[in-house]
Parts: sequence; structure tokens; C-alpha cells
Amino acid sequence: MTMSPATAVGIGLRQPHYREAFERRPALGFVEVHSENFFHEGGASLHALERAREAWAVSLHGVGLSLASADALAQGHLARLKRLVDRIEPALVSEHLCWGGVGGTHFNDLLPFPYHRESLALLVERVDRVQETLGRRILVENLSAYVEFRDSEMTETAFLAELARRSGCGLLLDVNNLYVNAANFGFDAEARLAELPGDAIGEIHLAGHHVGEDGLVDTHDARVAPAVWALYASACRRFGPRPTLIEWDAQLPALDVLLDEAARAAAIVGGAPAGEGGDA
Amino acid sequence: MPDLLAVQAAFAAALRDRDAVADATACLAGDPALAARRLAIYRANVAATSARALGAAYPVARQIVGDEFFDALARAYLAAHPSTSGDLHEFGAAFADFVAVFPHTRALPYLPDLARLEWAVHRAYGAADATPVEPAALAAVPPGRQAALRLHLADGTTVVESVHPVRRLWEIHQPGFDGEFGVDWTVAQSALVAREGLRVTVTALSAGEAAFVRAVLAGAGFGDAAASALGVQPDADLGGLIGRILSAGLLAGLSHEDS
Repeated sequence: MTMSPATAVGIGLRQPHYREAFERRPALGFVEVHSENFFHEGGASLHALERAREAWAVSLHGVGLSLASADALAQGHLARLKRLVDRIEPALVSEHLCWGGVGGTHFNDLLPFPYHRESLALLVERVDRVQETLGRRILVENLSAYVEFRDSEMTETAFLAELARRSGCGLLLDVNNLYVNAANFGFDAEARLAELPGDAIGEIHLAGHHVGEDGLVDTHDARVAPAVWALYASACRRFGPRPTLIEWDAQLPALDVLLDEAARAAAIVGGAPAGEGGDA
Repeated sequence: MPDLLAVQAAFAAALRDRDAVADATACLAGDPALAARRLAIYRANVAATSARALGAAYPVARQIVGDEFFDALARAYLAAHPSTSGDLHEFGAAFADFVAVFPHTRALPYLPDLARLEWAVHRAYGAADATPVEPAALAAVPPGRQAALRLHLADGTTVVESVHPVRRLWEIHQPGFDGEFGVDWTVAQSALVAREGLRVTVTALSAGEAAFVRAVLAGAGFGDAAASALGVQPDADLGGLIGRILSAGLLAGLSHEDS
């Protein structure tokens, strides 16, 4: 299955929903999975993903490549990603603008870093290598973050715009992440949207967050917040329709709740003007 | 300006140790006290993620010690054996060795072997799919060539040997188990962990059978493997074992020691 329209809406497909999703085969534009969950040599997980591939377009979303680490790029990890990409032939491949480990140890988390010329040069080189290895363009996603760095010379969105321009990568705009950061750091999310090159945006993510004592936390365990829907509608007006994913990773609800969120996104993205184009 | 490595090393130190945040907050914008509390969000995420990954690999150990104790155990394990891969399925490889020496699990002497069994199951789950050899191929080997025959078992096939009833412990903690819960603690049990199609199986092995499979997995020819089995257990039923291996589709290849 391939994903054609820019108005495609998908859900994150997680193991507890496999059986029901395969039986019902809901009409989805695509499904997205975490690449690392399918790094196995064989077995039930890969078998399930191949079944999903027959029903829907598949997007592979990496959480562990650690593109921005000061350590060397993990060649074994990249090789396993390539094997998976070659096997599944996904519609989209994405990674995060983050690091996950340094000094040989890994935190298996999506960690922020300072946005300056040196880190930009590193990311351009890394994304080049990943795209060359995979033989295809990848999307790089903006991060939710709880801290910012003194040494940053530019915003994350300006950094991503430059990364896309110099490496040719696409961007995955996580609207919830942008909203969370705007609240945590007190910036104007609309102004940050304006820094992004619309034609590079190949996918949009939507997810729920948690309002904590010390800020918003990107938990992926709830429905999309009203203010995030509003920001999403604004992004759709600004950029035109883009394939949109409902992400839900913790305290998974019934599949129908995800489908309901997807229907809501479809109503918004389906009504978006043609916008700045894009190639997704 | 500190380079990226210095910034990440400071950040990493703050994630490992709540009392080592000064170098990290010095790199961060805004109020250092708020930044320190925000770093705690990351620290909690890392602990939760690693405990979840460890619990997914060791679901029976988690049930036996309880969620709360397991989470504490996971934190101690993480500190001693941090993840080294961006793929969390790799995390937990040293857990059996860890619980063998961790003071608060010494009262559970069977736990290390149970953990070894669970890790074998975890690895078998994602092992490469095998194409079984037809039984006729084995039957066609001339008697004079049998001793030098090497059996290649499907990826993921492992033997776990224990002086504790670990296979029984594993069995009664499986989802949907509805039999008797009794455990004979005096029984030593060995298990064959394997992937039969997409399903991971844990089956009983006698001491001699375990020695045979262990030797085969180490690359011994049939003759040497049989000798080590019969040395442990003179009445070991190796014909029956080969039959089980064949019917389970675990024989993935044949070769000869001299070829």
C-alpha cells in the first residue's frame, strides 16, 4: 500500500491493538510504528508489520538513532534500520532532532541539545549519511523539550529549516511538541511555524500532553488538547494539508478512541487549502 | 562555548545522579532551580522507560517480585548496567548476573536461572525465521557418516539448565495458565527454549538431553554430542529428542565435521 493524498490521516499502531486492527481494517491513510520495535531478525513482530503493510501504507518512526549525539553515529543501528526499510518499503521514514546517549551509554530518551553552527554542521553531515545509506529522504521531527541551552544561537525551527535546506531532508512537524515548548519556554508558536519551510514538511504529528507543576510534559497518553487542535488547524491553513498522525504510546485507550481522534484530524486537514504545496 | 560532548556529558551526569546537576544547569537557559526540576522530568522518563523495557523482557520475574520491588530493582540495574543501544530490546542482557549478586535478591536463589530462561525467550522471540530441514534429509545420512554429522538448530534455540524448577515457575506465570500452581522446589529442571514458527516454546529437557543440545549448539558433531549426553545420563532417549527437534521444525541445516 502506498500513501498518496496529503490529506492522509493515520494512527500509531501499537501491539495491543494489532488483533482488532487486523480484523476491522479501519480505513486509515497510513499507520506508523517505532522502527526499533522491528529490528528483530524475524518472528512475530515483523510478521505483524508485514500484515499491516498489506492493509495500509506504513511509516517508520525512529526513536533511537541519536542523530545529535557527540558519539559517532551508531553504524549497527543504522544498518538495522536499513534492513527494515528495505524489507518494509515504507511510505515515510522519520527520526527525531535529538540525542539519546553519549560516551557509549544510552538513555533511550529524546534529549535536546544547543542549536548552533557546530551542531547544525554535525546534523547536516549525519542526515546526509542516513539518507545516503537508506537511499531515500528522511523526515526529521522537532522535539518536545523541558530545558533550553544558553549556547543556542537560533531557534529549533530555524535550525530545522536550515537542516532541511542543507541536507535535503524533509521535516516532521509535531504540533503538540511545538505547543508544549511554547508553553514551557514562553514563545509564540505561530511565529515559530512561520520559520518553517512549508514545502519541506512531509508529515504532522498530533498527541496528548500532561500539564505538570513545572511545565507541560509530552506524555502521548491522552487526547489532543483543544489548543493543539487550534494550532494544527493554523498549520494546515499555513502549509496546506499534510499526512497527519495521531500518536498515543502510554495508557493506550480503545482503538476507537484513536480512530475518533483521526476522524477529527481528517475533518481539519480535509478542509485545508492547497497551501504551499509539498511533496508528501 | 563548551563543545557538544561537554554539554552532553554534563546532561548525562545529571540524568544519572540527581545530586550532579550543577554542570548541566550551568549550560541551561533560565532559572537554574527550575532547570534542575525540569531535568528531573527526563530522569524520571529514563527510569520509567528502562523499567518498562526490563519488565517486558522479564515478565515472570516482575510478577514474582512484584511491581514496586521490580521498579526499584530496575533502577539499581540501570545504574549498574546502563543501556548501550538505541534499541531497548537489547537492554537487560546482564540481568541474570545482576540479580545473582544483588543483596536484596539473594533470598531468591532461583531468580538468576529464571532470568536466564526469560532472556532466552526474549531473544528467541525476534530470532531469524528458520526453514526446517526435511526429516528425510536426516534419514538419508549413511550410518558411517552419522557420528561426524553436525546439526544446525534454528536461530533462537537455547538450553537453560538449572538446579531449580525454573521451567515450572515460568509455566505457572504465563498469561492464561489455569492449571495447578504447585511447585516441587526439590526438582532441578532444564529447558529447551526455541521458536516454533512465530511462537516461542519452553519445553522440558532431561539432563542428558540438555547436554546433547548444549554440545550441538557449541558445534559438536553428533557422535561427540551423544557421548556427552550419555556420559551425563546413560539412558538418555536421544532418538526421541531428535524426533522432537524435527517435528518442532528446529533442525535448520546439516553439515559434516570434515566438510
